[in-house]
Amino acid sequence: MKNLDSVLAAYLAGWAIFFVYYISVAQRMSTLREEVERLKSLLTKGK
Amino acid sequence: MLKSTLKASILFVLLAVTAYLAFYYAPIERTMGIIQKIFYLHVSSALSSFVAFSVCFYANLRYVFTRQAKSDWLGVSAAEVGLAFIFVVLITGPIWAHPVWGIWWTWSPRLTLTFVLGLLYVSYLLLRSMIEEPDKRALFSAVFGIFAFLDVPLVYFSIRWWRDQHPTPVIMGGPGSGLEPRMRVSYLLMWGALTGLLILLMNARYKLEALRASVEELRREAEVQ
Amino acid sequence: MALLSNTAVLLGKELRTEFRSRELLTTTVVFVLLIFMIFSITFHPTTTESQQFGPGLLWVAFLFAASLMLQPCFLREQANDTLSALRLSVSDPFAIFFAKLTANTFFLLLTELLMLPFFAGFFNVRVFAVLPQLIVVFFLGSLGIAIPGTAFSAICAQARMRELMLPLLLLPVLTPILIATTEVTAALLQPEPSMNFAGLAIITGFDVVFLTALWLFGEYLLEE
Repeated sequence: MKNLDSVLAAYLAGWAIFFVYYISVAQRMSTLREEVERLKSLLTKGK
Repeated sequence: MLKSTLKASILFVLLAVTAYLAFYYAPIERTMGIIQKIFYLHVSSALSSFVAFSVCFYANLRYVFTRQAKSDWLGVSAAEVGLAFIFVVLITGPIWAHPVWGIWWTWSPRLTLTFVLGLLYVSYLLLRSMIEEPDKRALFSAVFGIFAFLDVPLVYFSIRWWRDQHPTPVIMGGPGSGLEPRMRVSYLLMWGALTGLLILLMNARYKLEALRASVEELRREAEVQ
Repeated sequence: MALLSNTAVLLGKELRTEFRSRELLTTTVVFVLLIFMIFSITFHPTTTESQQFGPGLLWVAFLFAASLMLQPCFLREQANDTLSALRLSVSDPFAIFFAKLTANTFFLLLTELLMLPFFAGFFNVRVFAVLPQLIVVFFLGSLGIAIPGTAFSAICAQARMRELMLPLLLLPVLTPILIATTEVTAALLQPEPSMNFAGLAIITGFDVVFLTALWLFGEYLLEE
């Protein structure tokens, strides 16, 4: 079918953008969680 | 953890279902052929981005008047997610345009508006990264966000008027003209799924911002010690 | 009214500061001349092409010049922390913005009028016949540039990379101004000039919306 690859490319690109964004948020989240743990242990050690 | 994975999975399944519907259930458009099916994603993403930016505007107003950090978190989340949807619009558009018009881009009113909208909110996010002090960052980006949002209808009307001054041949009657019921269902379902995605992404980003705020607070405590 | 008298005093200060050194005006004028020269390289300025591209390029030149000219607006208040003094001296913080945006509009308008003969000469465009109408467009357009420009100058004064941030914030917002002023100017520079009132309405609407927004939210940009 004519242009089917364009349609597939468009949907794939769209889903990819959403997926990549979600992953980036999740990654930043886990980095921050590690930071929280690090700071918490630093504070309890200080006390 | 399990709950959010479940929610995400449901949503991705829903997206897959709507994609399937768009492909098989909705009929093939007469003049354009199968490439018209890109519009389900393209148009729905545009609508969702406008919803996101409206939420950002609301959050900006709330922050200016209440100074609650939560409003700031909502604002940046809405702006980022809105921008993600705008990118989808700006990529699916040219992918559609190239086979149909033979060109990747044209400064049609809709595309120009989308481009300017993207630039406005990229500037919003850039501004935030350039102000270090959290309260000032929240306040100044909120004021800019308000200005940017008030600009949107002006941009839309001026571009429409500009294009009316220089009419170009319209290649197709616009995706909303004379919708067959099966197409209408596909549009609605796609938009529903994308709205769900919007809420999911904004929720995740909001939690990230809240966590970042608590990290900053912990850092300040650690410095004091 | 306290607002007007405060504004008048501050406006006097702004004008005196600039006319003492005239550095803002001279650098802006030179910059616009430079842009004209660069434009002349990018397209061959025959009469038809000048009429096609001229109005848009004229306003692009004004926009770029304004992005630079608006930088010092609030930056120079940071040097000796004069902003706090300003805040204390007025009862309505909007007076500070009102004075600065009036001064900025005036400087922009002055630059544009100074540059108009050069534009007419370099690009062989007839401007004298429609001079009053052009002044109207220039005034309303400059107001449209100055209002958000002054607000964003206040924002950028507190941000890093401020020289880059001001154009980045300002230019997308000014899209309606660029579109409308270009169209109105183009209509005026036609062989049969006409006044595009719809375009003027858009520019005026823009000015009103952003002046109101600045009036409502400007004071938050002046907070400590």
